[in-house]
Amino acid sequence: MTGGAWLCLAAPLGGTIAILLCGTRIPRAAAGWISTSSVAVAFAGAIWAFFGVHSQSRPQIIGFGNALPQRGELTTAWTWLQSATGHHVFSVGLQLLVDPLSAVMMLIVSGVGMLIVLYSVGYMDGDDEERRYFAYISFFVFSMLLLVEGGNLLLLLVGWGLVGLSSYLLIGFWHERPSAVQAAKKAFVMNAVGDATMALAFFILIAHTHSLSFGVLSVHLSSTETSLVALGLLGGAVAKSAQIPLQTWLPDAMEGPTPVSALIHAATMVTAGVYLIARTHAIFEQARTVELIAAGTGALTLLVAGLIALVQTDIKRVIAYSTMSQIGYMFLGVGVGAYSAGMFHLLTHAFFKALLFMAAGLVIHAVANEQDIRKLRGVGKLMPFTKWCFLAGALALVGIPPFSGFFSKDSIVASAAALGTWYGWIFWVCGVLGALLTGLYTFRLWFLVFPGEPSPFVREHYHDHHGREGAWTMLVPVGILALLATFGGWLQWAPKWHPFTSWLAPAAPTLAAAAPTSTQEYFTSAATVIAGLAGIAIAWAVYSEQRLAIPAAPFLRRTFEHKFWFDELYDAVFYRPAAALAGVLFREFEEPVVLQTGPDLGETTLAAGDLMRRIQTGLLRTYVLFLAGGAAAVVLAFLIVR
Amino acid sequence: MSGPGVAWYIAIAGFLFGIGALGVLIRRNPLIVLLSLELMLNSANLALIAFARHFHNGAGQVFALAVMAVAASEVCVGLGLVVALNRKRLRLDVDSLSELRG
Repeated sequence: MTGGAWLCLAAPLGGTIAILLCGTRIPRAAAGWISTSSVAVAFAGAIWAFFGVHSQSRPQIIGFGNALPQRGELTTAWTWLQSATGHHVFSVGLQLLVDPLSAVMMLIVSGVGMLIVLYSVGYMDGDDEERRYFAYISFFVFSMLLLVEGGNLLLLLVGWGLVGLSSYLLIGFWHERPSAVQAAKKAFVMNAVGDATMALAFFILIAHTHSLSFGVLSVHLSSTETSLVALGLLGGAVAKSAQIPLQTWLPDAMEGPTPVSALIHAATMVTAGVYLIARTHAIFEQARTVELIAAGTGALTLLVAGLIALVQTDIKRVIAYSTMSQIGYMFLGVGVGAYSAGMFHLLTHAFFKALLFMAAGLVIHAVANEQDIRKLRGVGKLMPFTKWCFLAGALALVGIPPFSGFFSKDSIVASAAALGTWYGWIFWVCGVLGALLTGLYTFRLWFLVFPGEPSPFVREHYHDHHGREGAWTMLVPVGILALLATFGGWLQWAPKWHPFTSWLAPAAPTLAAAAPTSTQEYFTSAATVIAGLAGIAIAWAVYSEQRLAIPAAPFLRRTFEHKFWFDELYDAVFYRPAAALAGVLFREFEEPVVLQTGPDLGETTLAAGDLMRRIQTGLLRTYVLFLAGGAAAVVLAFLIVR
Repeated sequence: MSGPGVAWYIAIAGFLFGIGALGVLIRRNPLIVLLSLELMLNSANLALIAFARHFHNGAGQVFALAVMAVAASEVCVGLGLVVALNRKRLRLDVDSLSELRG
């Protein structure tokens, strides 16, 4: 079982190292296959670990120090760092944790990751720097696996940081584009804010509990400390998962290659925040207010992102905002305490979001890298396979039965209702409104791009790949994901059967307060499906039949187009003051002091050198004179001082 | 043990050393410079032996012998240089020999 975990972790890293070491000695295509097979080996390791956990006949107590019997195993390779203050010993090992939660995440990351890397083989074919791309993408999968498998908080933070690094490298992969470099920097800086708050939370934990194992999270701290720790962790989760107020990096991250977007949005990176909250639920439950703040953040984000998605014109950006919105649902789920519902949505979302991105990638690839949905009208007629796969993903995203999103999203909204408090009902309303928006923006995209007669632009620029819509390496993953997006949700239908929730129960049991009754489930399902269908209907009326005009509300439209002015706000609050301060410092300090000191220093040195040069005559007699004079001076000094 | 006290020897040694140093400083002929160097070395030898007798300690004499050996080898090298200069028909002037390049 732990062997699977180590294999899962080592394979992608080995792939990265192999590609880096081989360099240009291997053909470009070989790099892609090394990367794909390394992630496939990781997937095999994940399956091994999964069945290892599955076959544990009796629940075992693992080294968490809490009394609850848990399933899983903690394995330590070696003690990584150790220090002692007084009689407290602080030690952190290179530990992996295999339990139901990490096993599920390993399967998602390596499984969906494998399909995406396979897709990249076709998508990146012919790029000048294919090898570098595949080295990075294997490293990305490795980082995320380290994050989910890490057996203590420090190792989790290491994975967390490496995920940030690899996303930076991949978003800025096309480094000759200034916008890509900007986007990469933005993603890195935004994530660094979250990393910093997480590190602060860990410092508090170290100071008060002298440990960073997951077990300390259930140790009782004072309420202030608990809240601070939970807030710090929430800050990290919000930054990594692109929730308000640290969400601005996500749409810009679309500058990376499309498979990278799929990887960031489906398997790795943005789901890390949801995983973090589920993993550290013990501390969030002690600080229930902070947990509800997480839920509120999710509810707000899912609405805001849905509204922004309505006016985007870039096909990838629409999908990017839908990710933000769906992650908002997951935050809502784990925030109210329905961890398994949030994680289940993470699972189905990984399927349909990877599918949507990769189908969009097929379109972009076939139509001269065009991403503007206003130009792509009618492309579905030329690409029927892509069209039907995208439709499956879109229906899963909106949550129409029997597609997978229906089973997971409704549980989250129902859990909000189960709280029964006023904020619970606000969350419920947000969730249902979010479903309406999801239907609207998803099918706006669908009706604008796929049905109807191809536009002249599409006719002119469409070029197929040897008579097919793309290389087989691209079509096969899309087909598999379309099946998963359609049927993957059948794993669990909360009112009737719930193997997923039972599976996760030893690691992250759903709070009693957030367990909805069957009536609430049915009622919520009906409401969200009706809302979703209403959204689709409006999209159909507006964008397909054009029976309804888009309401002219210039202010609202501008607000959405400017993404609620978050970028402008951060520009005004952080960038401009910093730039102004830098300007003042340049004028008042650098120019008069630093820039003047340099030349002055140089001139003084030159003058001193000139002086010293006169002494160096090159005549032996002068040196002897100095020698004799010096000796005489020493003798005199001894005589006088004596 | 008879004869003059150690102060006399030191005075003579200092005097010889001063003459040698002045010679090195002000003369340009390498032969004279070498002679002056010898004078300085021998004045030091005189001081060493004077102190050896004063303190009844043989170490000073041993040092003096070592200095003589050094002085002899130094004269060999120095005279060799002078002969080499003469062969190349260069001026016997230490100031004009201030550069290593020939």
